[in-house]
Amino acid sequence: MKYKNIKIFIPIMCFALAISMFSCVDDLNVTPIDPSVTQTFNQDQVFTKIYSSLAATGQKAPDGDPDVKGVDEGFSAFYRSIWNVNELTTDESLWAFNDTGIPELQYNNWTSANLLLKGLYGRLYFNITLCNHFLEQTVGKDDAITKKQRAETRFMRALNYFYLLDMFENVPFMETVTLQASAFPIKRTDLFTYVDTELAACEKDMYQAGEAKPYYRVNVVANWLLQSRLFLNAEVYTGTAKWDSAAIYAAKVIDPSSGYSLCPTYRQLFMGDNAGVLDGSTVNMAPNEIIFPIAQDGIQTKNWGGSEFLIASIHSPDMPSSGISVQWSCARARATLVKKFFPGNAVFTDNNDLTTAKAPTLSVKDSRALFLKGGVIIKKKDGSADSINTATRTMGIISNTFTQGYSVIKFSNLRADGGKTHDTQWPDMDIPFMRKAEAYLTYAEAVYNGASPINGSAVNAINILRSRAGKTTALTSLTKQNIIDEWAREFFFEGRRRMDLIRFGQYGGIGTGYTWDWKNGIAAGADIDAKYNIFPIPSTDLNANPNLTPTPGY
Amino acid sequence: MKYTHFKLKLRSLVAVLVMFAISATVNAQQISISGIVKDAGNGEPVLGVNIFEKGTTNGTITNFDGAFTLSIPSNATLVIKYVGYTSQEILVAGKKNLVIQLKEDAIALGEVVAIGYGTVKKNDATGSVTAIKPDKLNKGLTTNAQDMITGKIAGVSVISNGGSPGGGATIRIRGGSSLNASNDPLIVIDGLAMDNDGIKGVANPLSTVNPNDIESFTVLKDASATAIYGSRASNGVIIITTKKGVIGSKPRVSYEGNMSVSTIKKTLSVLNADQFRSYVDTLYATQPATISKLGTSNTDWQKQIYQTALSTDHNISVIGGFKHMPYRFSLGYTNQDGIVKTSNFERYTGAFNLSPSFFEDHLKINLNAKGMLVNNRYADGGVVGSASTMDPTQPITSTDPVYVNNFGGYYQWYTTDSQTGRTVGNLNAVKNPVATLNQKKDVSNAKDFIGSAEFDYKVHFLPELRLHLNLGMEASTGTQTLYIDSLSASDTHHGRQGYESISKINESLSYYMQYAKEIGENKFDVMGGYEWQKFHREKTNEYQGFETNVVDPKTGHIGGYDYSSTPSKNENFLVSFFGRLNYSFNSKYLATFTLRNDGSSFFSATNRWGLFPAGAFAWKINEEDFLKDNNFISDLKLRLGYGITGQQNINQGDAPYLPVYSISKTGASYPLGANGEYLTTYKPVVYNSDLKWEQTATYNAGIDIGILNSRITGSLDYYHRVTNDLLNTVEIPAGSNFSNQVISNIGSLKNDGIEFSVNAKAISTKDLTWEIGYNVTYNKNEIIKLISGTKANYVVETGGISSGIGNNIQAHAVGHAASSFYVYQQVYDSITGKPIPGKFMDRDKNSIINGDDRYFYHNPTPDVTMGLSSKLIYKNFDLGITLRASIGNYVYNDVAASHANISISNVYSADAFTNIASSSLETNFTGDNLGDYFKSDYYVQNASFVRCDNITLGYSFKNLFKVISSGRLYATVQNPFVITNYKGLDPEIGTIDGKTGIDNNIYPRPMITMVGLSLNF
Repeated sequence: MKYKNIKIFIPIMCFALAISMFSCVDDLNVTPIDPSVTQTFNQDQVFTKIYSSLAATGQKAPDGDPDVKGVDEGFSAFYRSIWNVNELTTDESLWAFNDTGIPELQYNNWTSANLLLKGLYGRLYFNITLCNHFLEQTVGKDDAITKKQRAETRFMRALNYFYLLDMFENVPFMETVTLQASAFPIKRTDLFTYVDTELAACEKDMYQAGEAKPYYRVNVVANWLLQSRLFLNAEVYTGTAKWDSAAIYAAKVIDPSSGYSLCPTYRQLFMGDNAGVLDGSTVNMAPNEIIFPIAQDGIQTKNWGGSEFLIASIHSPDMPSSGISVQWSCARARATLVKKFFPGNAVFTDNNDLTTAKAPTLSVKDSRALFLKGGVIIKKKDGSADSINTATRTMGIISNTFTQGYSVIKFSNLRADGGKTHDTQWPDMDIPFMRKAEAYLTYAEAVYNGASPINGSAVNAINILRSRAGKTTALTSLTKQNIIDEWAREFFFEGRRRMDLIRFGQYGGIGTGYTWDWKNGIAAGADIDAKYNIFPIPSTDLNANPNLTPTPGY
Repeated sequence: MKYTHFKLKLRSLVAVLVMFAISATVNAQQISISGIVKDAGNGEPVLGVNIFEKGTTNGTITNFDGAFTLSIPSNATLVIKYVGYTSQEILVAGKKNLVIQLKEDAIALGEVVAIGYGTVKKNDATGSVTAIKPDKLNKGLTTNAQDMITGKIAGVSVISNGGSPGGGATIRIRGGSSLNASNDPLIVIDGLAMDNDGIKGVANPLSTVNPNDIESFTVLKDASATAIYGSRASNGVIIITTKKGVIGSKPRVSYEGNMSVSTIKKTLSVLNADQFRSYVDTLYATQPATISKLGTSNTDWQKQIYQTALSTDHNISVIGGFKHMPYRFSLGYTNQDGIVKTSNFERYTGAFNLSPSFFEDHLKINLNAKGMLVNNRYADGGVVGSASTMDPTQPITSTDPVYVNNFGGYYQWYTTDSQTGRTVGNLNAVKNPVATLNQKKDVSNAKDFIGSAEFDYKVHFLPELRLHLNLGMEASTGTQTLYIDSLSASDTHHGRQGYESISKINESLSYYMQYAKEIGENKFDVMGGYEWQKFHREKTNEYQGFETNVVDPKTGHIGGYDYSSTPSKNENFLVSFFGRLNYSFNSKYLATFTLRNDGSSFFSATNRWGLFPAGAFAWKINEEDFLKDNNFISDLKLRLGYGITGQQNINQGDAPYLPVYSISKTGASYPLGANGEYLTTYKPVVYNSDLKWEQTATYNAGIDIGILNSRITGSLDYYHRVTNDLLNTVEIPAGSNFSNQVISNIGSLKNDGIEFSVNAKAISTKDLTWEIGYNVTYNKNEIIKLISGTKANYVVETGGISSGIGNNIQAHAVGHAASSFYVYQQVYDSITGKPIPGKFMDRDKNSIINGDDRYFYHNPTPDVTMGLSSKLIYKNFDLGITLRASIGNYVYNDVAASHANISISNVYSADAFTNIASSSLETNFTGDNLGDYFKSDYYVQNASFVRCDNITLGYSFKNLFKVISSGRLYATVQNPFVITNYKGLDPEIGTIDGKTGIDNNIYPRPMITMVGLSLNF
């Protein structure tokens, strides 16, 4: 090539390059090529996420792509974070690990910076935003499938708002997704009305009682049960009791036409095959009673916030197996809880092997007393026998000590039919999130407080539960204490205790007349300030949202 | 630009190049001359001097004896050029033997340093630029290029991430300018701006170059220097130039090799078996059942996991020039064992450079290809911790059938799986570290290729105009395979196997034109260009247990035990336009202006483009009349600079401004189907459509000084940097988006610092020279804004620790350095002076000790860092030493904190013993109510240190066995001592897994003893 040619060629090439650079600017308009994301709204898949966000903490199992950030992913789980604040702050349970925020919760001195509260609050609002998004994306669609999905979505949104109402008082409220907008707080009474209205409004489009439905989706019976729960606590939320409404909705659930009945064997509700036939089990009758299960599965639905934490936390390696080979050894019963079953100085002689699916036949005849080796003795963890009366002494400081306190064996991944579960690390046990037994207690409490009886007497409703638990002696009359204790016996460690104690005036406040070991961080227990009846809006949201004001007292 | 277009262009350019090569010819009447080039100062022969016939490309370079031969016309003029010396022209006039005396350039600053898209004479630089050549004499074990700059440059901190073979490092230039975005500097290798995300087995971009191939490093520190790199320049730029061949030189072969022995310096002080037995006997006196779980062996677990490790490193290079076609190629092999058993690093490298020039240097081409293969076996990172906590009374192996049948004969704490009845490892117990090492094989195999082609054309009809094109690509794949034996305690019976593979292809094209002109006293140098870069990355992985017959009754899913797979794919683009104007007047006043306009595919069309201007002014005071004749001060320059740089490396996926749905992975589905079928879920992902560039404004003022004909040179710089629109993960109002946090541009951060460096030739005589280099840096980092509102007491917790779940020990807050420790104030026993467990000051005086009582206490970054190097050469002997100091860096001693609980509930818990560290006996936290004892300021410890990096003694020789023209034999001790008050193993803690200043069982840095040999043939 001659110089002359080069002299021409090179500038031409430069010019060509200069031209081409402008086309490259278009490269900046990318569409994500990652196969794990999509830009398309897919109705069924987003709808599934609404349910799944009660179980999973994100899009990876068991963690790694979290919905809620800035907190350990396991602590942002819907069920676990509700469980933490409703159990660890009460007379039921203690947690032996110094996980973040736990000491503050179990000694009742939490602050608005508590990361567990942040995880809980973040989870509830994530779920609400997801529901809002789904409702916005499907607005105007009125095919049968969409109508049902929208009704259930409204129910789920109301459910999340119910927890906010119950725990945080005046919270930010929104029904649409408006990016970065600061929502305004709604008054607790107004939110009560909203939840009530929403639940009533979506009733008609939901699966009806008795109608066949996918097992893990909710129907109108769940709606009734949530409404009865709302009305039961109406006085706490609004200052005005609604015992009648509570009784009416509880009665609807109790009525056999609801399609649900009590599971004859209490323990089956909390076992690996508690989805019954869906789990391939013909023995486990739990689905008769479970109105709203949160699915868990050893292979397909794994997370740190469901039955894994329930089962692993209450078991230690030296206990009879729980059906998974993971034992965290950290959740214990407080002495006050154990005493609800074994008042006075009772010593128990019957033996029961945890590995069978049979109901324990305790001398006190209560198959719900699922404590370590439920039967022979209430055992100290070091192996020596102990009678209940010395419990307060040996409880010691629980914070780091699993060898003190009493083991709960309520939840396990064992199957009632003795079969194998899917995995030895991750349990199959669904969370019996809403079950029919609640309706009996709600009904009993409402009628005891003056609601017109619809479906028998209050004491009868409670006796139905006691009889299912194998108690041979029926109660003939009720006291307030009977009812609140029965709530504990039936529902301990199921994530609702705080609500019941507040309703009975036994939680926050000076002069409640009721304390438990380590209430207020003191071994003998002491009253706590009334401000603790409400959890503070997390400081992070106070900072992000200028419309909010700090919760009084925090 | 589409990839195919790119390839087409590449192809046509190659064709042009080949034609040039063919068309170039040399023809003349020749005589052969020879000569020797010596330093006029000390009479030593000078190696590598360029000698060529004026006006041609005919030339050679001097060899190790300073000698050369050249065939040229008898009447030609020889041009002799060497960096740092004055150029000469000599008329041959028939002479056949020449002795040429080279005089050092009066200012000795003719040295050219690489800056972005061009070079500049060092004494004309206006920004804060430090160029260093690798220290040939005292370099220690430099497996990674990062090791060559450690402690050498003021304002550059290099902290290795522990002592694992081939491990990476945390490099910070002038502290960190970002909070949530990357703080890593941009690395540019032979003009190719590298992608900072490594692949499996390649720790960081610096690991992609064999240190032996590096010619020079240039570190651009202030914005006036870095702004030409715009959006990636906020954290400084490190430019690496690799070695090239030499015009017309005969091929010369060099060998460089060493062998080394690494040993563990110090292990954690823990109880031995007898001490542990006696402690347990006392603690569990009332529980004979617990005591009975003690073993009868005496095992020093730490001794069992460490080894004396051998390493070798061999490099061969050939350098020369086939006529006008200089070339260099090199091969390297490194095999390095780690001091933790089983860990090993093996690397093969090859580098090839061809740098021909054509048409009387009008067209210069520089072709580079570097390839490498890395095989790395990692030791399980947990063994460092488990060796210190494993019960010393237990044996390593046992013939008891329970261990033989279930754990391959290794002792393990076990439990029974009631479902299967099988014995399985106790997941809550410490695992036998020897078994962990031997039963786990975690190996990465990586391949990396970097190629670049630079074309520099000085236009024939307008020689002041240069056109420059640089095409480059990096292609690499790395696969990390995992195999865990089915008889391991962590995965008993089902084992675990799988792989993760990452491959990336980054392509880049840059193009600029440069016009330089002198008009009287005015010198202009204008450059304008364009750059296009594409980053493409794919990841696949699959993991599962060996039991492949697991069938899910619900779905019929058949897969291996606990199967998981999370493939991903990412792509992003950067398009940039940039320009620079250098202007100098009267050689005294220099000014530089740069401007870059960067477009990033990470941001939406509205926020995509960022404009990054910078300006700098320099005054060469020594050129002024009042100093010109001063013999004492040979160089004095004042520099002032200001510029804005950006940050776009936000690690948030392809286009974080776009709303997308995230698809659930294996194990995160939900059985919402009509018959309980598991369905995939789609989650709307939180996004910020307003996301834009983070911007850092830097002010820099500096003085460069040279004294006594540059025998002593020094620089002093002051900088003030403010980052605005901080890419910051902030809380957003609940319910307003699809998470509680999103990355936003909120907040400001500032860094202030002073850097000083001095280099002196303390002694310079014929037989004895002594050079000393010292640098010191002070940096202060402070957050000035974190949220859009004005709420006080806002903190963002960070720095997860190992005690409990979800606990953090640090926080970002306004008025404090990033990642400051956020802790409780410890209360001490007034008599013993020991900390009282769980007892903290009620700082807010409300009688409740809770999260509100925490306070800010120091931070992990040092206030002052220093480096000192000394090199003494006496005749054939050389002695080098490098020292490094860090003052005011604090570390959270997580190892001590997580060991501290030695109460009855913790020493034996979950059916297993945990050994006790001596530090725990000092604090003696044995009570029950320990509370949040680990969040105490007691564990935040001053980790200031002085470390000796290397001491080297060498001996140089010449003319050995006729074939060896020169060589050097040396011995080095690396990391011989550290002086510190820090109570943990090693005070130097880098950034590991995004956490900084948290000492949690890092891979210990070994002491290395090495002998090495360099030979030139």
